[in-house]
Amino acid sequence: MSRAILQLRDVHKSFGEAHIIRGAQLELHTGERHAVIGPNGAGKSTLFHLISGQLQPSSGQILLGEEAIQGYSPQHINHLGLSRSFQITNIFPGLSVFENLRIAVMRKHGMQYHFWRSIQRYSEVRAQTEQLLEQVRLQDKQTVCAAELSYSEQRALEIGMTLACDPRVILLDEPMAGMSHEETDYALNLIREVTQGRSLLIVEHDMDVVFSLCDRISVLVYGEVIATGTPDQIRADRRVQEAYLGEEQCA
Amino acid sequence: MEFLTVSLLNGVIYGLLLFMVSAGLTLIFGMMGVLNFAHASFYMVGAYLAYTLQKFVGFTSAVLLSTVLVGLLGVIVERFFLRRVHKHGHAHELLLTFGLTFIIAELIKLFYGNFSVEYRIPEFLNFAAFQVFNTDYPFYRLLMGGVSLLVFGLIYLLLTRTRVGIVVRAAIHRPQMAEALGHNVPLVFMAVFGIGAALAGLAGALAGAFYTTNPNMALELGVIVFVVVVVGGLGSMAGAMIASLLIGLISSFAVGVDLSLASLFGLLGAGDWAQQMGGLMTLKVSSVAATIPFALMLLILLIRPSGLMGEKG
Amino acid sequence: MKLTKILLAVLLLALLVLPAILPAAMVNAAIQMLIAALFACAFNLLCGQGGMLSFGHAAYFGVGSFATLHAMNALNGEGLLPTPLLPLIGALGGFICGLCAGWFATKRAGVYFSMITLALAELLHSLAPHLSMLFGGEAGISSMRSPAWGLDFGDATQVYYLTLGWVVLSIALLYAFTLTPMGRLTFALRENGHRLQFLGYNVHRLRVLVFALSAMFAGIAGGLQALNLESANYVLFDMRFSAEVVLNTYIGGVNVFLGPVLGAALMTFFGNAASDLTQSWLLYQGLLFVLVMMFMPSGLAGLVLCWSAQIRRRGWLAVIPAALSALITAGLLSLAVVFAIETLQRVFSQDYQALLIADQPWPAISLFGREWLPGALLTWAMPLLLGLAGLLVLKLARRQWLRLLDDEPAAGPVALRSRVEGEQS
Repeated sequence: MSRAILQLRDVHKSFGEAHIIRGAQLELHTGERHAVIGPNGAGKSTLFHLISGQLQPSSGQILLGEEAIQGYSPQHINHLGLSRSFQITNIFPGLSVFENLRIAVMRKHGMQYHFWRSIQRYSEVRAQTEQLLEQVRLQDKQTVCAAELSYSEQRALEIGMTLACDPRVILLDEPMAGMSHEETDYALNLIREVTQGRSLLIVEHDMDVVFSLCDRISVLVYGEVIATGTPDQIRADRRVQEAYLGEEQCA
Repeated sequence: MEFLTVSLLNGVIYGLLLFMVSAGLTLIFGMMGVLNFAHASFYMVGAYLAYTLQKFVGFTSAVLLSTVLVGLLGVIVERFFLRRVHKHGHAHELLLTFGLTFIIAELIKLFYGNFSVEYRIPEFLNFAAFQVFNTDYPFYRLLMGGVSLLVFGLIYLLLTRTRVGIVVRAAIHRPQMAEALGHNVPLVFMAVFGIGAALAGLAGALAGAFYTTNPNMALELGVIVFVVVVVGGLGSMAGAMIASLLIGLISSFAVGVDLSLASLFGLLGAGDWAQQMGGLMTLKVSSVAATIPFALMLLILLIRPSGLMGEKG
Repeated sequence: MKLTKILLAVLLLALLVLPAILPAAMVNAAIQMLIAALFACAFNLLCGQGGMLSFGHAAYFGVGSFATLHAMNALNGEGLLPTPLLPLIGALGGFICGLCAGWFATKRAGVYFSMITLALAELLHSLAPHLSMLFGGEAGISSMRSPAWGLDFGDATQVYYLTLGWVVLSIALLYAFTLTPMGRLTFALRENGHRLQFLGYNVHRLRVLVFALSAMFAGIAGGLQALNLESANYVLFDMRFSAEVVLNTYIGGVNVFLGPVLGAALMTFFGNAASDLTQSWLLYQGLLFVLVMMFMPSGLAGLVLCWSAQIRRRGWLAVIPAALSALITAGLLSLAVVFAIETLQRVFSQDYQALLIADQPWPAISLFGREWLPGALLTWAMPLLLGLAGLLVLKLARRQWLRLLDDEPAAGPVALRSRVEGEQS
């Protein structure tokens, strides 16, 4: 259970002068739910971009299982079983909800270049899309244009798309950002449910969510992971309180 | 040597002229994200307006007046056309200006006919500035170059030394932020669009008299200007300057070069074989001068996609 | 859905019997309409469905044309490819060129993509006249249709049926493509290419393939043009043709599959019909395009869908008043514009200006079967009055339309689009 499925080894990233990620070390164990927290500007989203292939690290190693994936293209990383969501909702706004999910499901079946057969005839894709719709509880909305969904529904759709390729590792970037209380509860249950049996790395600002959902937590400050541990350990960690909670009290 | 000097002079001046048109285009793009397809049409309108007005008010006033009028036209286009479709996105804006190009060209044809008009340099400007290797060098060319340099200087000072310039630069980088700070960004957009159009109009009014003034001039120049801004880096003023000069020089030199790929192979001793191959091999550089800017643009996009001076996108 | 099918069947039937009704000269116009329709439909695969706005699509049309002509000359209708199958060569030419150009152009998105396609087309346009081997220099190349399959392809009617067959087949294939996995991905590409990457798709390769497919069908259209005209020259690569297909496609409406077909067919038809009546057809086309871009971004097809949705909701009778006033508005306004443009065109034409004698009143011009004096107030008041009347009726039409819409919350373009493309289940 404790073997690492995703490891960051001394990862650095600079944009010109700005050194954003400064030797980040992180281990995501197989099957755990792991949160990355930290003050604004600590580099959490950058870290996700590095892992998912949107950005390339300036130096250091990122291992998915045994394979070093730094510098791979996003689609390659996705093929290796890592899927991510985005902080700012990133869906296909003009397509129906069903279509959004179906496009995500299709990839797993390697149908990118199939142009000789109607999509209707791939019954497996259809079944899986419907299953996914049910999982993210959007069955009633399947014919609705994704742009017309409510905010939390769009977030659910985003999670659904992230899950569609049956990934080993899931990265969720602030899935609850901008949600009301009820919506957060709904999303929390959803995430708990759909990440059963997978490894989850999540960036989230809502501490209630983080502490109730996650097995372990890493604290990122100024591009460095200053502490990793169980929720109780993190609560008790003095450095975390100084660097993170302390700062937040000041602000 | 004569060829070199004259080509150099002509190239630089043509480049400066290109800059006058592309400066506005790149400024507008950098600021509003709109690639204004109709920009070269402003150039053409400037030429035709000056041609018409000079019959009534004389050349100098006609040039100045048409500059102002084309600026107003730009303001109208921004205010009543582009702003309306802004919500549909940049592709939509591009298409709209594309349509306007058509309308402007057709209106010009309607009023002036589908042929070039007799727009000439006035007598009092039509003299030789100096002699280059016993040939007269026209003063008017120098005038065009001088005006372009003046414009460059003015824009530069305006952008870097004045409050307005600071607001404009802020609006380029962070429109929302500039708006939040209480600046009237739509007004700034409109003004920049107007100024950009006016510059193109000025260039047209000046250059129309020297080159030809016909309904196709917008399209011909338009494509070259696009090449300039892409090569220079969309949104970069310095890039536009460098690329304009580069393209100006290339165009001016290429027409005089009688070499072909076959001559290159000739250096390797395979000249005869290459001559027999024909096709691309025996094309003279001079005859394909028009294609070189496009080839350059493709090359730039391949090796440095954001252009010479563009920010990494 | 059923209605659409019936309408399509009727349309197809009409197209089949058309040559029997039309005079021979018109059959040629019909062929041009069909070709333009296919070209626009191919273009829309790239632009409307794939979200990549190309300003140089005439290049692939032209390449298809030249490739077909070379094949006509090389094969003489014998060998593996008899005359009716020659557009396949055009398709091949378009596809290969599309692959090369597309690989290049799709490296960038958005405005840059458009600029690259423009530059590539211009490159070809300025290079073509110098490559006499390939494009026959300034004169171009020509060929003859050889008989095949017991047909001699000597008259327009046979060419018409050949064209019709290819166009219907190609458009059907293009439609079928939108239903395949790759076709669905093409829509996703337009909506959000960035997200596709993170779903594990190779976006660049997908873009290139969509580009090449679009170029392939444009190549078929070019091939048909070659078969029809039996000649081609480098003018085919002119910016004008690239612009034309953009205009046609958007006037027809990019968000509906058959929109571009409608737009191209109508525009070509009117262009043909108007070429005798006016010299300013391009101006009208440009005006129409700008109007569409500003006031009805979903194009003519969007307009049709909007109205038919209202008819379905409220029945014919309820819609008639609004439709009537909309028609009157359109009629009055276009009359005003046409009046103004045609008057100006006549007054400023070279022939007319040559008639003028100094200090004499300007002679009358004839328009709509009447004589109008340029000096008379009425001549200039007419378009103004017509325009004013049009604007007044427009107010009325607007109010009626809003009343039709009042209890329907979302009839925006988004809702429209979801209805068009959301069809799956």
